[in-house]
Amino acid sequence: MRDMITIVVRLTISCLLAASVMGLCFIFTSNAKKHNEHVKEQQVMYELLGYSGAAERPASLAMHELYRYVVSSGGRQSIGYLLPGAEGEEAGFLFVNIDLDGRLIASTPVALSAGDALEAEPRNRAIQAAAGPGASVTFADQTIVVTDGGERIAYLMGGKFQGFKTFIHLMLAVDPDFALIGFEVLEHEEDPGLGAEIVEGYFKNQFKGKPFTAIKTIDVVKAPIPDDYYKALTGKVGEEEILRFREQYKEKDIYALTGATISAKAVAMGVKGIVTKFAYRIDVLDRVLQEQQLATSF
Amino acid sequence: MILDMSKRLILAALFVWLAPSFALAEGIIADQTFKAANEIVVTFAAPVDRAVVEEVNNYTVFEEPDPDIRLVLQQVALAGDGRTASLFFTEPLNTATTHVVRIRGLVGGETTFKVSKSYFGYLFGILISALLINNFVFTKYLGLCVFFGTSKKKTTAKGMGVVFTIVAVVSASMSWFLYNFVLIPFDLNFLQIVVFIGLTSLTVQAVDTILRKVNPVLFNSFGVFLVLVIANCVIIAIPLIMAGNGYNFFETFMLAIGAGGGFLLALYLMSSVSERLQLAKIPPTYKGLPIAFIVAGQFAMAFLGFSGLQLF
Amino acid sequence: MTNDKSPLQLISRGILSENPIFKLALSMCPAVGISTTVMNGILLGTAVLFVQVFSSVTISVFKNYIHPRIRIPTYTLTIATWVTVIDLVLAAYMPEAYAKMGIFVKLIVAFAIITMRLEMFACKESVNDSFWDGLGMGLGFMVGMVAIGLVRELLGSGAILGYDVLGFKPLLFFILPSAGFFVVGLMMAFFNWIEIYYKRRRGVQ
Repeated sequence: MRDMITIVVRLTISCLLAASVMGLCFIFTSNAKKHNEHVKEQQVMYELLGYSGAAERPASLAMHELYRYVVSSGGRQSIGYLLPGAEGEEAGFLFVNIDLDGRLIASTPVALSAGDALEAEPRNRAIQAAAGPGASVTFADQTIVVTDGGERIAYLMGGKFQGFKTFIHLMLAVDPDFALIGFEVLEHEEDPGLGAEIVEGYFKNQFKGKPFTAIKTIDVVKAPIPDDYYKALTGKVGEEEILRFREQYKEKDIYALTGATISAKAVAMGVKGIVTKFAYRIDVLDRVLQEQQLATSF
Repeated sequence: MILDMSKRLILAALFVWLAPSFALAEGIIADQTFKAANEIVVTFAAPVDRAVVEEVNNYTVFEEPDPDIRLVLQQVALAGDGRTASLFFTEPLNTATTHVVRIRGLVGGETTFKVSKSYFGYLFGILISALLINNFVFTKYLGLCVFFGTSKKKTTAKGMGVVFTIVAVVSASMSWFLYNFVLIPFDLNFLQIVVFIGLTSLTVQAVDTILRKVNPVLFNSFGVFLVLVIANCVIIAIPLIMAGNGYNFFETFMLAIGAGGGFLLALYLMSSVSERLQLAKIPPTYKGLPIAFIVAGQFAMAFLGFSGLQLF
Repeated sequence: MTNDKSPLQLISRGILSENPIFKLALSMCPAVGISTTVMNGILLGTAVLFVQVFSSVTISVFKNYIHPRIRIPTYTLTIATWVTVIDLVLAAYMPEAYAKMGIFVKLIVAFAIITMRLEMFACKESVNDSFWDGLGMGLGFMVGMVAIGLVRELLGSGAILGYDVLGFKPLLFFILPSAGFFVVGLMMAFFNWIEIYYKRRRGVQ
């Protein structure tokens, strides 16, 4: 009996000790983790847009985040967007609810601070309130509109799709005509030496500069990359040469990775899906905003 | 006996839970499946109006998560019996997601139904994936210490595999409950490792005690493996994968069975070779572990051949 | 029982005569799974070193308060705590490296080598010696990982630590996933060969 009590007491104490160590560590690291993730995301975005250092970024560059939600109320589904409102207004954000045929249902100003909009929880609550009672909202995705002095210069969007082993997580940049500026692989678990080559320049650079018409019908070909094109893709030749090759191959399909056709095809199809869906949605959204004379920051 | 009972209970629960999915097709839709890459086949309960069904404009088809993106239907062909319609799309479909099809003009105005791969097939897919395609030993490289230690004789291999599977299933199920009802609601996700390893030790201890009382004969032959289970990284990898993928209970169950079965399969294959190796003339430098590693490497290459395998 | 070895001997024992990977053949999973580059070896090696040293010291400090009947659960709890700490720290401050190592950081908790050192050494010896022993074992693991990584990265992608040294890729096979088994097996055979060779020479003399 005595034995049991000492065992219980000692086990409890050791559990408490362990818990306090882990708890303290969690408290100290969770903020740093969030901050570092945010910094990294920003860095990837700027790199995609072609600004490698902080100094190169023009001051007129601005990023506007659009959050897309699927709203369903009374058996009907619609798409809700949380948009940053035009500058100088009281309501920081605008919630625009569009039905599936691209007609406006309602637009409500949402009072939300810029910091809260970045956090999932307060944002979801605000959207729920804006959508009205009885409606259920689910977060779908977020897109960033990049403007330079009021002119749209690019769209940034994330995407996740099934690769060969698990999911591949991408960040894409397209220009206002939906031609691909480039993409970055954020997360993947493909095999080293095979599918993991999707992060390599010679694969990613094949996508650069592809116009929207080419993306819509993109596919992969199982053939080795021609030697001169490979040199251009790995950046071993001059700038004009690279551009010349990009021009030459821009309507062509992607060369698959040796031994990892499925991974390469998954990326090509994923990019196609993300870009075509986005192009359709932003068209609908722009039309609605124009028809209803709604002012947003982008 | 207790294990047997619990197995039956779980099977019963599985059946009750899955039964509604067989009766999913409501009213006039008898069946709906994906066929070719860009084709959905719909079977109606009774012959339907050809003019309505074959009119492309009567359809609205979209993927469930993207209700605003309509899929473009190229053609609908109704078979001679007036009941089976084939919907052809211009683009290949993404069969991994659920598709929603809406037909206007049929009896009762509007008919809406969902097309998805059968859930049973999906569960089975997880099992096959853990068993062969992503075999924990040969393609994820986990549990190797125990693998090389217990794959010298077939009897040991079988014993270890069976004990491991039982412990894996029990501990994964418990981990699922604790993860979903304690760790997530209270935002204690960072305690994952401690909780999962604790539950595994608890399961091992419990199986040890129960087996010792219920079936001493079985305990004498299998008891020694119980200690080894805890030193096996697969047992802790299962709940971690479950948490990472957000599996539901049945998916977790299938994953655990697949992982355990895969481990058993790997052990059995390896032990069959090991028994032969004992008769072979091996250079002294390769005796023992080196040759075992090279054989395992050959198995790993063979298992690469399973990748891309899709049954459903 | 007291320990009569100097810190240097404790460290060299961990690296050479009782190397966790090549001699004891424990914790093989990462040695096969993610040893494709030298960097992976260094990173996971550091994580294991951290967990091993801190667990050894913790157990050694509290050795008089641990009830013998709950010895193993206490070890597990200690290891799990330090693994959680390193997992959180890596996820927060080195997200890229953390993503590369994947699930293996969390799986350090099931490494037989750490529990074994606690049971065989730390629960009997002084704090000081336990520290050196833990350091030796951790370094031994790291050296093993780096050695395998060196072979695979050099032969597979012609580079070391990401720097292209050969300019060409001699054998792509070596960084393919299943080659881990072959590399470890061949390296073990190589070390066996050296041992046998020296024993024979000594026998002749």
